[in-house]
Amino acid sequence: MKKAKIAVVKRSLFSWVFAGNVKLQITLLLIIVVMVFARVLPLEMQKRIVNEAINLRSLDLLFMYCGIYLVAVIFFSALKYLTNVIQTLITQRTTARMRKELYHYILTLPLGFFRNTQPGSVVNSLIAELTMPGNFAGMAITSPVTNVLTLLAFAVYLFFLNPLLAAVSLSIYPIVVFLVPVLQKGVNRANKKRVDAARQLSSRIAESITGIHEVHGNGAYSIENRKYDSMVDRLLKIRIIWSLYRFAVKSSNSFFVSLGPFIVFILGGYLTIKGQLELGALVAFLSAQEKLYDPWKELIEFYQVYQDGSVTYKRTMEFFDLEPEHAMEPEDRKPFDLDGSVEVKDMSFVTDSGIRLLDGINLSLNSGEHLALVGFSGSGKSTLALCIGQLYKYTGGHVLIGEKEVADLTKKDMVNNLGFVAQNPFIFDGTIEDNILYACRAKVDGNGQDPEALPNLDDIIAVLHQTGIFVDILGFGLNTILAHDQQKELVGVIIRVRENFQRDFGDELADYVEFFDEDQYLFYSSVAENLIFGTPNKDSFSDANLSKNGYFLGFLGQADLTRPLLSLGAELARQTVDILGNLPPDAIFFEQSPIAPEELAEFKVLSERLKRKKLHELADSDREKLLELALRFVPGVHKMVALPAILENLILEGRALFRKKISEDDPGAITFYQLSEYIHSQTILNNIFFGKTKEANPDAQEKIYQSIIQLLIEEDLLETVIEIGMYFQVGSKGDKLSGGQRQKLAIARAFLKNPKILIMDEATSALDNKSQARIQNLLETRWKKKSTVISVVHRLDTIKNYDRVAVMKAGKILEMGTYDELMARKGQLYELVGKK
Amino acid sequence: MNSSEKNKNGPSSELEENLEILRQTYFFSGLPLETLKVFAYLCTRVKFKAGEYIFHQKEDDGRAFYIISGKARLEREDNNTAKEIRDCNSGEFLGGLTLLGETPRLFSLKAVQDTVCLILSREKFSKALEQFPGVMPRIFKAVAKNVDAWEERFLTDRADMCGECMVNLGVSLI
Repeated sequence: MKKAKIAVVKRSLFSWVFAGNVKLQITLLLIIVVMVFARVLPLEMQKRIVNEAINLRSLDLLFMYCGIYLVAVIFFSALKYLTNVIQTLITQRTTARMRKELYHYILTLPLGFFRNTQPGSVVNSLIAELTMPGNFAGMAITSPVTNVLTLLAFAVYLFFLNPLLAAVSLSIYPIVVFLVPVLQKGVNRANKKRVDAARQLSSRIAESITGIHEVHGNGAYSIENRKYDSMVDRLLKIRIIWSLYRFAVKSSNSFFVSLGPFIVFILGGYLTIKGQLELGALVAFLSAQEKLYDPWKELIEFYQVYQDGSVTYKRTMEFFDLEPEHAMEPEDRKPFDLDGSVEVKDMSFVTDSGIRLLDGINLSLNSGEHLALVGFSGSGKSTLALCIGQLYKYTGGHVLIGEKEVADLTKKDMVNNLGFVAQNPFIFDGTIEDNILYACRAKVDGNGQDPEALPNLDDIIAVLHQTGIFVDILGFGLNTILAHDQQKELVGVIIRVRENFQRDFGDELADYVEFFDEDQYLFYSSVAENLIFGTPNKDSFSDANLSKNGYFLGFLGQADLTRPLLSLGAELARQTVDILGNLPPDAIFFEQSPIAPEELAEFKVLSERLKRKKLHELADSDREKLLELALRFVPGVHKMVALPAILENLILEGRALFRKKISEDDPGAITFYQLSEYIHSQTILNNIFFGKTKEANPDAQEKIYQSIIQLLIEEDLLETVIEIGMYFQVGSKGDKLSGGQRQKLAIARAFLKNPKILIMDEATSALDNKSQARIQNLLETRWKKKSTVISVVHRLDTIKNYDRVAVMKAGKILEMGTYDELMARKGQLYELVGKK
Repeated sequence: MNSSEKNKNGPSSELEENLEILRQTYFFSGLPLETLKVFAYLCTRVKFKAGEYIFHQKEDDGRAFYIISGKARLEREDNNTAKEIRDCNSGEFLGGLTLLGETPRLFSLKAVQDTVCLILSREKFSKALEQFPGVMPRIFKAVAKNVDAWEERFLTDRADMCGECMVNLGVSLI
């Protein structure tokens, strides 16, 4: 770590040019010097070829000069390529570095900043806006140095050829240097106006479209047209002026530059005719003159990149230019190991806009004491908990943890001693395991400890039991499909479990499970599963390939299934697109959809085609897609379409036909469902059931799991399945979990960390009675006297055994004491409890 | 609509049936068809066997129920004694308020016959609502009107039987 590091938002754009790129930039400079030389050399050769080789009619000289010319050109091109490579490297590395450092900084900004900031604008800053400053960093050295050096070299060479001619022809450039920035200012001015006018125009359009009912109702077309037209006219004028300025920059630049050859011709021609200049020198002069144009143009382009880059860079950095409220880690000491006492003295919290959210808060807790904060929403109880936890920075008074002022502690001191369960806990994309270990990993990482320091599986399982998420994770484990070579032992045992299950619970659970019965249509299985009724052993019979499998397609035709399935697929596509067409790709919307979010766009287009074409007119690729969709259809899940009775019968008959046919043609291609075989295409749970679960209510689900747990314990398989369940992917923001599961997971990750102080902000609100009672009980038995707990409570029936209850209203603590004391006093708590 | 016409001949899908139910439920009936379709799609049907609880007192299960078939009994437990409140029959919609915000149940609902319910969870409801922000005012209106109508009906039919409870009337004034 560097000492006294400047915050990324305070750094100048130029500081990035060399940061981490010193070697590359120096290499680049060296190459450039060589390159400039290689660029001037051909001019000299040109002169010599004309003056010496051709004049003296010497072939040797001609070949030699041409040879040098060629080598110089090749050398130059190679170097040019090399500089481009290095430049790209610098640009990309700098952009990446800016992205990383800015992101690292943004994460440390106070929570208040994020309340007023759209995530979209942070994304935009990091992704889009940093590219231009990055480009600048790549060009910052190369472009000016190369071009200025080249210009200088040419200029010197010109003076060397003929000082008078050089002086006259170069006199143009100062005029351009003066003129271009003036014109550029005009461009910038017009550009700003253009952006504003365009914005006004868009809001005008939006308004008239939103109010289209009124426009039609009143026939007010002319009024709206007038308003709109006048704005378009204004924009038209601004755009013309803008374009004129832009072209003026370009044209005046190229005009003045093109004057160069004119001067050379008239003056140089005169001098040559008078014999004061050699013809070869004139040719070289003309070439050099022309070559001035490229570096000059590049310099002007660089000027524009610099302008754009520095403007966006400034704007981006200013946007995030806030101080983090607390230092990340202590500089000259180890992080504190605090004791769990909490002391709040006359503490207040006032927002930036001057609203007093907390006022004159006093309380003190000994290590291991438990405090419940109660009150109406808006009374400040969450804010108080967050202030104690350093997530909000209190604005007056003191908060002491282990006799240390919280405002002066670093984040790491807090993290090492504090656990936190938020009101709406956030679960990150990844596995259950990732999320359960999230808090512990952050702590271990931050302290530079070995990953060995992480809790082991036994610790984790204990916490899973305590928080009641054990059964959920077991469910995830049971709903996993095992790969062919995975868990061979498990597979054997499951078949045994299946037999026991059928014997012990078969009748009881028949209502909730649809068993794999050869003579029944399976409403909770796909059409493909209904037809094949087995596990494919060949890839060509897998779900993804079935609609392309010639043999299978032939069978569908023979079974009279092709057209009815196509029509089913078409109906599915139409209905699903109709409902989900405009919804975001959240898991919750697609749970009951046969079309995955990423396929939706494709099927949208296809369903448009279906409006215009008959099924038999569709292209083969479209028919294939519809067939694939139909084969996925599970009537019990995809409720947008009903399975016609005729099709149900056809599929059942098809099942028998397929079995007969494939057993003759390709025995071994399919392993048919049978009680003695593990089904590799199905989940563990379905294997135990030898069937699939139907839509079940929570009580029934619980009943099923309890019976399975019993069987798994008998076979000593429980831990194995839990381990498999820990790899369940929770989806983006944990959207594959229910609200209760997310909350239990958040509690588990705080419990696993085993902190000195635990802050729970309505942490059990989404849990059922049983889970809530379990966690309350756990706090009272295992955590009392060991860890300090501050709990924002929403349900008053859980607070009886807290050491202290504080009743809050409008940012103040009205009364505090044990539950019994407060109830006996018949004050605020008494009233609250009565009301509830 | 093209697709619904085509469907007329075949069996109606569960989605269409759900849609029909929602259109007849006060909570949803005022919503535009596109929104309603999404809600109808997000609903699930669950069967409860006689004796099973559909929801429990004090628990926030976050779900609204429409009883498609069967019968369920509303109960309330106070001081460890359970009281039967009334029976809910098919066609009844319960728990609209649950969709709007977290509230622990004041009653339990227990199936007394095998009962099939159409269920919408708060999670799905609010996710969908994010996509149609314009419909919230309509739902609020429907709820406010319904609370008002409920109390008015109560006042006309039952107020004279209230006795001491009279002072607690006025839920429509909250």
